[in-house]
Amino acid sequence: MNENEPFIGIDLGTTNSVVATVIDGVPRVIASRTGQTLTPSVVAVARNGKRLVGHMAKRQSITNAENTAYAAKRLIGRRWGAPEVEDARKVLPYDLVPGPEGNDIRAMLGGRAFSIPEVSALVLAELKADAEAFFGRRVTKAVITVPAYFNDGQRKATKDAGRIAGLEVVRIINEPTSAALAYGFGKQMEKKVVVFDLGGGTFDVSILDVGKSVYDVIAVGGDTYLGGEDFDRRVIDWLVFSFAQEHEAIDLRQDKMALQRLRDAAEHAKIELSEGRQSAIHLPFLASGPEGKAALHLDRQLSREKLEDLTQDLVDKTISVADRTLRDAGVRTSQIGEVLLVGGMTRMPRVQQAVKSYFGREPSRGVHPEEVVALGAAIQAHALLHPQKGKEVLLLDVTPQNLGIMVVGGYFATIIPRNTTVPTSQSHMFSTVQDDQTAVRIAVLQGASDKAMENELLGEFVLDGIRPARRGEVEIEVTFDISADGIVGVSARDSATGTRQSITVTATSGLTETEMRRILEENLDEMLTRRQVGDFERLRDRTRAVIAEIESLSPAVKEALARSRFGKDAVLRAEDVVGRARNAIAAQDLQQMIAVEEQLDRALQLFKGLAGGTPPGGKGP
Amino acid sequence: MQPDRYHGFLFNPADLSEDVDIDPGRRREILYFVASMDGWTHWQVLELPWNASADQARNAYREKAKVFHPDRYPGQRLGSFRARLERIFRRLTEARDVLGDEGTRAAYARRTAPPEEVARAAARQIENDARSRERRARMARGNPMVSRVARVRELLERGRRAMEEERYADASRDFLTASAMDPTATEARTLAEQARRKASAGKARDLWEKARAAELQHDLDRAQFLAEAAAEAEPGEPRYGVYVARVALQRGALETARFRAEAAVRSAPTLATAHEVLGEILAVQGDASGAKRALERALELDEGLTGARDRLRKLRWSFLR
Repeated sequence: MNENEPFIGIDLGTTNSVVATVIDGVPRVIASRTGQTLTPSVVAVARNGKRLVGHMAKRQSITNAENTAYAAKRLIGRRWGAPEVEDARKVLPYDLVPGPEGNDIRAMLGGRAFSIPEVSALVLAELKADAEAFFGRRVTKAVITVPAYFNDGQRKATKDAGRIAGLEVVRIINEPTSAALAYGFGKQMEKKVVVFDLGGGTFDVSILDVGKSVYDVIAVGGDTYLGGEDFDRRVIDWLVFSFAQEHEAIDLRQDKMALQRLRDAAEHAKIELSEGRQSAIHLPFLASGPEGKAALHLDRQLSREKLEDLTQDLVDKTISVADRTLRDAGVRTSQIGEVLLVGGMTRMPRVQQAVKSYFGREPSRGVHPEEVVALGAAIQAHALLHPQKGKEVLLLDVTPQNLGIMVVGGYFATIIPRNTTVPTSQSHMFSTVQDDQTAVRIAVLQGASDKAMENELLGEFVLDGIRPARRGEVEIEVTFDISADGIVGVSARDSATGTRQSITVTATSGLTETEMRRILEENLDEMLTRRQVGDFERLRDRTRAVIAEIESLSPAVKEALARSRFGKDAVLRAEDVVGRARNAIAAQDLQQMIAVEEQLDRALQLFKGLAGGTPPGGKGP
Repeated sequence: MQPDRYHGFLFNPADLSEDVDIDPGRRREILYFVASMDGWTHWQVLELPWNASADQARNAYREKAKVFHPDRYPGQRLGSFRARLERIFRRLTEARDVLGDEGTRAAYARRTAPPEEVARAAARQIENDARSRERRARMARGNPMVSRVARVRELLERGRRAMEEERYADASRDFLTASAMDPTATEARTLAEQARRKASAGKARDLWEKARAAELQHDLDRAQFLAEAAAEAEPGEPRYGVYVARVALQRGALETARFRAEAAVRSAPTLATAHEVLGEILAVQGDASGAKRALERALELDEGLTGARDRLRKLRWSFLR
């Protein structure tokens, strides 16, 4: 493995995403090409058909709301028809349709149906491009974070998104664990740590036992549908309702553009109220007046108290989840040595106050709540790719939900209980119930309910080609395993003959393999053309910079060589290389530019040495 | 690491020579662990002493995970060792899950306790029981309402124990105190009477034995004194009276002897030795017919009394003469 191969850690958030890496042993966030550290997780298809990602997409979201996808993380890996999805359809300005298999969800953007992993992939690709601009070379290896409470389907879909974006996802890790890793980096911690992660769309609590660079997760809890977006929605509903009272029942939610403006205003007001006590919401010309009267404006003051009032139950819910998780872990608040606040929503004073009073201690400051997760991911990527003696870290995470199967009567039988350390596996015996039965169908689910239907169906596995025998005579040992990524695998073998049993997976919420292949091919074409353009521009700019530097050193070099009898031919050769590079730029010839890049670098090194007064010592270019 | 750690364990040369990026020492460690771990207790898996704490288990687990977690071999070719490492990690996790939780740890510790620990625990249990009984009694004494009842119960208990150990005097004292403290306790009174009787019987027996010893040393004065004390101590036992009469007869204190013998015959008319000794006394006093009657009565009750038979024969002789 190349020691210097670059790698990244990505916090793929509901509202914002962050990319980071580790350089010279120091984790750092990579700023985007436009200089920002947060990239909005927004994807849009513009009227001219161009795909826009990040700030560009967010900026045009008001005028192009129905073609702008945001909060894709709330949909990723979910099943069409799930209550969360129905809920989202009511409030999202873009259309959702079922996928070809009827299981997953597609977002309609610019007249094309995008699978949710594709939408997320566009965000990931943007971050990847930012990282490549930063390193000046290709980046393929990444660790991506997901909420600890994500189930198998959501994790798989996130991994798929990485693949589509052209990334090799080395590991999927949990956001709170990642935050703890970044927080503990370089410290000799030995205590129990609680991570309270309230992000844009998801809420996670993790309890870790940290000791000597091992991060051992004891328990996780959370809600994949509780976050900043819900706080915003309370404000939006309040605005919409009061507006309707004032203006004879005008429902602003019918107008997608108005809704998008409300959304931005609500988020903005919420953020302002983390610092100030009052925020003015001023949206002129929000709706057209009835029967051609003048347009209507919205003008309201939102106080911090009112915001806290509107969202009190959401804050209470986070505390009750935290309480349950502590119980699961068998840990009392007095045993906790550190409480970390992660996620933008933890900037809200009311949230901090609630956490403080529940845990009876001041939560730790000194971590940047929006960047810490990406930094942890980068640290884990570093540990997995370039281990260094004495600086090893080891993450031991757990599975957030019970994994089990449906048994007779529609009940749910747990096979791997929640909070089991991963990787793990568990075997279960199945036997035929009819003579000459050739197939067994197993529904694999994840969740907390006793009833199978109330849990998330991960997929149906059909064991087929079973050897014919009397009923009960064939016993098939099915092994369920959960990888370090938290992804579920199922394998089966005939316990009498030891032969592997074939398994067909149906009814998953993810993309099928053929569809995945199609998307990858499509994307490859598109990315190649994009890459060509991008690479050319980047390389051209760089080449120009090198040429400029060589030329600036030229007088000093000539002066130095005048007193020496060495190196004259080297200067001539350097001049030749510079000439060829200029030609390549003029001809817009990418291949030629790549060919001279290395020689140009060597020429620069030589010139630097000569100008600095150190003779090249016979080492010509 | 001791050099003989794997003593007697055979490594498969194929495993040791597999083309992977793991050094030979670590390979041995992995192979040995995989082969042994199913037979190990959770304590052994985490290399802990029996009954180590949950915190120790968690710490040991973390240390072991550092060695055996597959993530600790990033970018290295692991070949067939990857599956082994994963199995070891699962086994470690299984041990940690049991020992890292105080509830399951304690249950497992009880189940896996070595025999000497079981014995020690049993001893401790008994000691604790005795101690807690004493504590209860002490607390009861502190409370005036309860203390009288508790004290009575305690005395009865102690008295019974003394009875069992044949310390009748102690028993009797306890029972008497108990019945004095609680006059309604009829049980205490009957027990006190029984104990008293047993106590005097014991005392009488003691005195009698001492009297016998004195007799053997020909100290007849002392023997008679002790024998009389024994008869006083247990007036219901006529044998002591008989013995007093016999000693008195030997000393020539015929009045005393006759008084004792007659008393014995009155209180135990079926006791052959009482008649016998009376007969002998009467014979010495010269009441031959009275003596003859008494001796005949004695032989009627017990034919084996050879002394009585001889004396009777002599009496007949003197009569004929």
